[in-house]
Amino acid sequence: MPKDSPVDPRGPRFSAWMTTVILAIVLLTGWWRLLAAQTVLFAMCAFISLKLNPWGHVYRYAIQPRLTPTTEREEAAPLRFAQGVGFVFALIGTLGYATGLTTLGMVATGLALVAALLNAALGLCLGCEMYLVLRRYVPALARPQ
Amino acid sequence: MTGVWALLGALAVAGAIGVLLKVREGRISRAKDSIDLPAPVRDLLAPGVTLVQLSTTFCAPCRHAKVVLRDLADHTDGLTHAELDVTNLPDVTTRLGVMRTPTTLALTSDGTEVLRVGGVPKRDSLLAALRPHLP
Repeated sequence: MPKDSPVDPRGPRFSAWMTTVILAIVLLTGWWRLLAAQTVLFAMCAFISLKLNPWGHVYRYAIQPRLTPTTEREEAAPLRFAQGVGFVFALIGTLGYATGLTTLGMVATGLALVAALLNAALGLCLGCEMYLVLRRYVPALARPQ
Repeated sequence: MTGVWALLGALAVAGAIGVLLKVREGRISRAKDSIDLPAPVRDLLAPGVTLVQLSTTFCAPCRHAKVVLRDLADHTDGLTHAELDVTNLPDVTTRLGVMRTPTTLALTSDGTEVLRVGGVPKRDSLLAALRPHLP
């Protein structure tokens, strides 16, 4: 898996707001194709590179130049891990909506929205802090360094 | 219509978790009953009190905790800071009963746990709680 360089922490916060809005639209409309697109986006960021995130580009070209520069940097590993957690919930949500299990779709999308909103509003990455717990139940997360 | 309720529910849950975590962040809790310290932790013990910070690769706030604790240790006699990456040491965290990172254990040189802190520690309240145990 290629390694991403550290990023301006305000970029991921902006992305998290966009993700929150998309997931809210999915909940309100039940438009599962939009959720499927979000699932693909999560997968690309988690498994290929954060550079594939279109919101990151929007941030860099439209928002960052208007803000005071910061030397603060955030490591990419926690961000990619968070995208992976988002991917799992969005995938379950998509499958739920697409197969008519609407309640499952709503619950999974709702949980993804909770995580995205906490990340956007408080800079909090639930999946990262709870990694130890997740790992206990999902042994596949353990990988050699 | 159900979608509206689902959205409101999600917002309420996020709000509740946010408040809960803000309240608990940096809270100092009493030491767990004496446990047999795992070797990777025991190896870090120094004279005086050692703050053993447990971190993982995926933990962004661990960096902030490191800054706070390192600075505190640099300015306090008899206090040492050590970081242990537990990403691949699940047995260690299970044995210590640690569920989230960063978690910081304050240990004396003989391995007795004085207290533990979940989340990014608050410098002043941590120092006050450590005072009775420092030389």
